Amino acid sequence: MVLDFLTIAEAAKLIETKELSPVELTESRLARIEQLDGQLHSFIRVLPDAALAAARAAESEIVAGRYKGPLHGIPIGLKDIYETKAIPTTGHSKVMQDHVPTADAFTVAKLKNAGAVVMGKLATHEFAFGGPSFDLPWPPARNPWDTTRFTGGSSSGTGASVAAGLVLCGTGSDTGGSIRGPAAYCGLAGIKPTYGLCSRAGILPLAFSLDHAGPMAWTAEDCAIMLQAMAGHDPADPASADKPIPDFRKALSGDVKGLRIGLIRHFYTTDNEANAATRDAIDAAAKKYEEMGAAVREITLSPLAEWAACGVLIMMTEAYAIHEPNLRTRFTDFGEIFRDRMALAGLWTAADYVQAVRRRRELIDELDRAMANLDMVMTAAAPTEAPKIDQVPKFAIMDRPSLTMPFNVTGSPAMSVCCGFTEAGLPLSFQIVGRRFADATVLRAADAYERATPWRARRPVL
Amino acid sequence: MTRAELDAALARLGLNVPEKEREELVGGVAYIEKMAELVKKSRWVGAEPAHTVAFPEGK
Repeated sequence: MVLDFLTIAEAAKLIETKELSPVELTESRLARIEQLDGQLHSFIRVLPDAALAAARAAESEIVAGRYKGPLHGIPIGLKDIYETKAIPTTGHSKVMQDHVPTADAFTVAKLKNAGAVVMGKLATHEFAFGGPSFDLPWPPARNPWDTTRFTGGSSSGTGASVAAGLVLCGTGSDTGGSIRGPAAYCGLAGIKPTYGLCSRAGILPLAFSLDHAGPMAWTAEDCAIMLQAMAGHDPADPASADKPIPDFRKALSGDVKGLRIGLIRHFYTTDNEANAATRDAIDAAAKKYEEMGAAVREITLSPLAEWAACGVLIMMTEAYAIHEPNLRTRFTDFGEIFRDRMALAGLWTAADYVQAVRRRRELIDELDRAMANLDMVMTAAAPTEAPKIDQVPKFAIMDRPSLTMPFNVTGSPAMSVCCGFTEAGLPLSFQIVGRRFADATVLRAADAYERATPWRARRPVL
Repeated sequence: MTRAELDAALARLGLNVPEKEREELVGGVAYIEKMAELVKKSRWVGAEPAHTVAFPEGK
């Protein structure tokens, strides 16, 4: 049996019917990590003994008739800002390289309770912000579609490891696009859930009011499976929503008839002009939705630069406040990209921050009004395919307005969906966004598109 | 912002930025200033921020 590119849904079916052993699957992934991660650098810490022990435990439970569900026995990776009991959690930074948590993050505990097998800790941009960096204790992850290319960030190791089939899924976090960016560049599905749906407790923060935890996987269906395990109220997270969690997978009907979609074209045709391949791919995706019975109409919002400025200013000032003590005493222990971005963040005033948070309320209201008669909006997730890893500017996040940040500002569920490939074989993507807590609708639309198009059949050759 | 103004600001922040990175930061200040301008709007004095606390009903 070829195990390299199984989805969670495929592997779960085989595991449930005892045609595939979790131990066999885990051993095969460890062998693939050993074979390929020397060129991908997606892991900063592999945990073979713990993974095999968890796989054996899963196998015993399943044989004994205690099958837990579709994550039982599935190898996953954790971005190294998710705290793990007795296992270092570093934020990919020298500053925290000796940090050994005493407990698992809430979401990690939930994934383990669902039976997931943790394979190790994955590369990230430093503290989920500064990267790609070549001056940290571990190298930056490489894109499996072309290892001279950027993975996107900050969930860089998750993007690389899932695309390469080293794990079947992984955790990401998203403060300005850190799930959706690497999902776009690595050809995955990645959803930033509604703010408050997944607990942030036990995850190293970047910016409290914008941080979201969420899943990254090969398909929307796999994201639904993973989100089911990660979502849920946690009193330890003051932003955690105490709401019933829907059955995300059950919502995947394959049907988008009657769905009303607003296409925000100006974000990627004028505000942050995408290249022709990206524009064409998104236009084709919008047309595909129309063919499937959705109603797509173009809408106009405030210029993208205003959304990005609001989000970036809030993100960087909150991050500065978090890291200020170490910035003052250990400035050069941070990587150059992180520390220099933080030095700029320190120049904003308290009044600037308050103005940004006032602007945030206005922008949230604006999107709510625009979506009053819509179920979703759609735009680009990235303006181009993945650039060369050595050609990412130090201040990239300030240089071109982020296409993903608007939906961190609003807290809306937002997802990257692969919608084709360049002539050179690099993934292209679009972004769909739902109303707050309509995560199931976003997953349904992404899944329907994936079923109707051939893109999920293509995998990187390594 | 001039290099001298940046040096003074970094000193006030207590950040020991290496000399070779300071020139790049001078170039980056334009981004900071532009974003601060973009979030300033002519708005009513009572326009609330997004973080205003709303206590759950009944608690």
